[in-house]
Amino acid sequence: MITLQSIEKTYQSTNGIVHALKGINLTVAQGEIFGIIGTSGAGKSTLIRCINMLERPTKGVVTIDGQDFTALNEQQLREERKKIGMIFQHFNLLSSRTVYQNIAFPLELAKCSKQQIDTEVMHLLELVGLSDKKDQYPAQLSGGQKQRVGIARALANHPKVLLCDEATSALDPQTTKSILELLKNINREFGLTIVLITHEMQVIKEICNQVAVIEGGLIIEQGQVLDVFTQPKENTTKEFISSIINHNLPDIFADIKLSATPIANSNLIVRLSFIGHSTEEPVISSMVRRFNIDASILHGNIDHIQTTLFGTLLVELSGEQRALEQALSYLQTRELGIEVIGYVPRHASVAV
Amino acid sequence: MSQDMLALLFKSLWETTYMVAVSGIISAFIGIPLGIILVTTDKGHILENIPINKVLGVIINATRSTPFIILMVAIIPLTRLIVGTSIGTNAAIVPLCIAAIPFVARIVESALKEVDYGVIEAAQAMGASPLEIIKKVLIPEALPAIILGLTLTIISLIGYSAMAGAIGGGGLGDLAIRYGYQRFRADIMLITVIILIGQVQIVQSTGDYLARRLNKK
Repeated sequence: MITLQSIEKTYQSTNGIVHALKGINLTVAQGEIFGIIGTSGAGKSTLIRCINMLERPTKGVVTIDGQDFTALNEQQLREERKKIGMIFQHFNLLSSRTVYQNIAFPLELAKCSKQQIDTEVMHLLELVGLSDKKDQYPAQLSGGQKQRVGIARALANHPKVLLCDEATSALDPQTTKSILELLKNINREFGLTIVLITHEMQVIKEICNQVAVIEGGLIIEQGQVLDVFTQPKENTTKEFISSIINHNLPDIFADIKLSATPIANSNLIVRLSFIGHSTEEPVISSMVRRFNIDASILHGNIDHIQTTLFGTLLVELSGEQRALEQALSYLQTRELGIEVIGYVPRHASVAV
Repeated sequence: MSQDMLALLFKSLWETTYMVAVSGIISAFIGIPLGIILVTTDKGHILENIPINKVLGVIINATRSTPFIILMVAIIPLTRLIVGTSIGTNAAIVPLCIAAIPFVARIVESALKEVDYGVIEAAQAMGASPLEIIKKVLIPEALPAIILGLTLTIISLIGYSAMAGAIGGGGLGDLAIRYGYQRFRADIMLITVIILIGQVQIVQSTGDYLARRLNKK
């Protein structure tokens, strides 16, 4: 649906040339919710603005639904933009227009008849649950309601793509959830392709299928949300994920020397990650029974990434050296992620 | 107060109102578009054009830095060209406009600059053309501020029009100078001042009311 090929963007600022984007390649498939996450200044805002040419890339090609956007002139671009909806962090509603008139705005631009506008707006108001607020002005609405108006306005022209520029960053967690829910429903119901940028991993976790991590104007990591969450490669990604899933060792390990190879009289510390069905399997208890070892859980959590269960457990195994090795190879045969943290001397054991 | 004096007062009141109204309308019609050009041709705006922006800015500043009484006399040839004469109420309208147009332009400029650029960007993202952005976004969003700016312009024009007597333009200010001051008629002076205060008061209240009605923020 959307392809970005080696997109570069440079600005002339007072302190010289700024490279906001340094060659971005991305492909967003039809019907996908694609999340781009990055810290402020990473270039994510510039990137999303390059998709609908609010900022023209200095180099590279943007193709949406087969149409090369970088080759269009201003007039053609305006026509094509009508097929792309966009919502914003600060909603950007017209304060002088009512809710109804705000949603009607893109339809006026598309030269729809009064009747068409009325039918369409009433339908959209219902979709976002604001039918009773149609004659109010944005100033009378809450943040969540304003964003709903923003979404209705973005959907008015039946777009193929919806771009979300930090759409929930100005909202409280509860409202964020309801807005994300609405976006998810729209995605499902209309098969609308959604590209969103955010600095909140929670947003990615809630609704995205694909995620790309942007840093310093480059995509440093990209993939299915589940894969990136369970096997993050880059440090920045790990940091983002740690805001939701704790991948760090508990503080009690700070003073203990971990050994990568077995040492005499030591306990083994492993991190297990479960995805999907393996969460339902009683791995730990059957391992304990089979190999006559003890297992203490040091840290654990189970979470959902959309509909997939996902959990991590940090366990300390103690027992005969041979039994430990057998247990380890048993774990390796199961359908779960396993990461050997190291061996700790038994006297330094942290397990209770 | 004599019948003649009263007639004179009414005549002057009419002259002031006429001069201010006509020059107010003309300067709004020319000043508002100029203000829009000033904003939209600025760096990074929808119709960025730095040369036009700079030239217009310089012209506006030049006009605004000339004291009104000097401007009035300096442009007499232009006034004669437009109105056919350099004396009288109609002749006074020309310098009043020349003084008010750049004033309106600057006021409209600052009103439009207050419009959040995010809203303009949203309109662009919806495929609005620059003209549509001006008509449907910039002007409606800035309307309360523009109304207040025009109110200020009209009040300034009432003040300027007092100097129109210098070229035979008449009006309340002229009456106050010729009768109140030069003929020691304190009563005339007092009445004209009271009427001027009343006029300004009415204009300001009307402007405030309209701006409040239109402001949905």
